[in-house]
Amino acid sequence: MRFSDQFRTGWRNLSRQKLRTTLTIFAIVIGAVSVTVMLSLVTSAKSFLVSSAQKTGMDKRVIVTGSTGLDYRESTWNWPDGSGKRIDKDTLEAVTKLPHVASATLYSQVQMIRSFVLESTNQELEFKNLSFEAYTPNGTIKHLLVAGEELSEKTNGTGILVTTGVANDLGFKGRESELVGQKLVLKFRTDMGPPDARKADETAVITGVVMGENGDGLSVDLEWAVRMNTMEWTQKGPNGQTETMKESQIDRYGYSSVWVSLDDKKNADALMAEVAKLGYGAAAGQEEIDTQATVFTIIGAVLGGIGGIALLVAAIGVINTMVMATLERTREIGIMRAIGATKRTVRRLFRVEAGVLGFMGGLFGVAISFGVAIGLNQLLNKQLEDSGITDRDIVSISPVIALVVLLITTLIGMLAGSLPARRAANMDPVEALRYE
Amino acid sequence: MAFVQCSGLRKTYTVGDEEVRALDNVSITVEKGDFIAICGPSGSGKSTLANVIGGLDQPDEGSVLVDGVDLAKAKDKELSEYRNSRIGFVFQSFNLQAHETALENVISPLVIGGVGKKKERRERGMKALERVGLSDRAGHKPTQLSGGQRQRVAIARALVNDPQMIIADEPTGNLDSSRGSDVIAELRRLNSEGITLIIITHDPNVAAQAKRVVEIKDGKITERTGAR
Ligand SMILES: Nc1ncnc2c1ncn2[C@@H]1O[C@H](COP(=O)(O)OP(=O)(O)OP(=O)(O)O)[C@@H](O)[C@H]1O
Ligand SMILES: [Mg+2]
Repeated sequence: MRFSDQFRTGWRNLSRQKLRTTLTIFAIVIGAVSVTVMLSLVTSAKSFLVSSAQKTGMDKRVIVTGSTGLDYRESTWNWPDGSGKRIDKDTLEAVTKLPHVASATLYSQVQMIRSFVLESTNQELEFKNLSFEAYTPNGTIKHLLVAGEELSEKTNGTGILVTTGVANDLGFKGRESELVGQKLVLKFRTDMGPPDARKADETAVITGVVMGENGDGLSVDLEWAVRMNTMEWTQKGPNGQTETMKESQIDRYGYSSVWVSLDDKKNADALMAEVAKLGYGAAAGQEEIDTQATVFTIIGAVLGGIGGIALLVAAIGVINTMVMATLERTREIGIMRAIGATKRTVRRLFRVEAGVLGFMGGLFGVAISFGVAIGLNQLLNKQLEDSGITDRDIVSISPVIALVVLLITTLIGMLAGSLPARRAANMDPVEALRYE
Repeated sequence: MAFVQCSGLRKTYTVGDEEVRALDNVSITVEKGDFIAICGPSGSGKSTLANVIGGLDQPDEGSVLVDGVDLAKAKDKELSEYRNSRIGFVFQSFNLQAHETALENVISPLVIGGVGKKKERRERGMKALERVGLSDRAGHKPTQLSGGQRQRVAIARALVNDPQMIIADEPTGNLDSSRGSDVIAELRRLNSEGITLIIITHDPNVAAQAKRVVEIKDGKITERTGAR
């Protein structure tokens, strides 16, 4: 019997039991949709993660620290306390000379900031659980810009970046661009220095609003940060005269780290080995991306597994449907055998029929999944817009997943149909013809 | 050489402790163009013999030689091909597919055998329906046909593959006598056109029309009436 005739016969037999066929297919559709949507959500999240990391240059980043054995996340937060190797301009120079370094910058934190005030609203925010990073804006460190621009050479001494979190706290959620150009007054704490320690307020102009990569906070030019980190106080000299003292935290402990941008992300290990030879610690941004991607892979496996269970239940539905079909059609099978159908033909007929069930379930499932993706994107686009992210339609059903799901549901159908098919094929034709 | 040569056929069914010898050392030869009536009381083994000759069933012992091939030892594929293209079955209860039209039923052996394209199948199916005088009922479902018409559709189905032999197991059993004689007349005409015919029947009138009558009782052939 030709495949086209088998297919036609299977199709026809299925349409004889429309309700039962629909219900069986429906179960497969549920399984197919859950597998497709869940896997697509995870792959979409993963590719969003990776593309975001590429935009900030995180994938090509290596952070050099004075302490060894820190992972990437710890490296971004590393704070020099004199225990590790000192990071200073000489370090930058040495690192810059290493192979595969495209650009590099010293990186530090502005310390002892107490609060900041948005001039226009006079709203003061305590500086708590925030980071205040400082670097040379030479392209090594990039952000996901929501509004305004990155820091540049000409913004040194005035320009400041605020994260969307800070913008939110300042009451500018969804209106981030209105913050650009506004003045922010930085106030410092002097309680840790000598009794008469002084540190004048600094006035900054908001250059841009960005997505926070290393937590929420502020970013300024490194050179300006060095000045901000300098405290002044007066003390009596040995001859009784009054002396004005100055001390920069950075002078005492050095910088936090050197951030490097690689020529190619595959050279991270090579550079890290070189850095290790110099006695410094190093961590690659790609490692962090991989770690996060692994988390998504695990979530994907778990969610995919849940979808898989739905498919398994659907497969049992197919078996049930086909077993019922073999019973109902016992006499028909007998007739087919009498007019020359081989066991193999009967077996194939039922298997093809079950395969059609699986295929239809997969087809509808994948189609619905595309619809679900459109719906999810509409919801997510709103969220993305609200958080100032320019990306849109981040949930996408990959054609590979769609095809694989279609193939799998068809195979599951045929596999589930195998048992009833064998049952049908092994019926004794004489018995089958006698069946009422 | 004979078309079919059966020798020493045995088939025993065991139900509980009871042994039923459906066929007990049966030997029979079917010549090309023969018209054989198999008669006998109910349960004597007529259908079993017909099924064995028709390749629908296999004996426990003995041989069924068709062109030198022993159906008793043949594999499913060979037997199925034999049923599909060399013989045609006609049953007491018609055994038409209820969901298919008359034409679809008639061409189903072609579909199963993978013979021809749509057009050729249709032509051959219509020709077979014409031969039984039912070409105007091609699109009717079995439920829309009378018993006699259904049996003629079954005969058309048996004919469609140009078989060498037709085996009819009580083809008139479900028909009144007038419809029954139509069907027998139809089968006789086919026999006169050269198709070998085996009819199982209780009806002495039918048996009287055969060239040979084989009487069977308790699985044994008890009486033969030679060619008339
Ligand atoms: N599958 C079976 N299991 C047990 N016994 C069977 C089976 N098939 C047939 N028999 C027995 O074999 C014997 C012959 O059966 P068969 O159907 O050949 O009879 P028959 O001559 O065609 O009878 P009828 O005229 O009633 O159709 C009967 O006694 C029947 O009970
Ligand atoms: Mg019988």
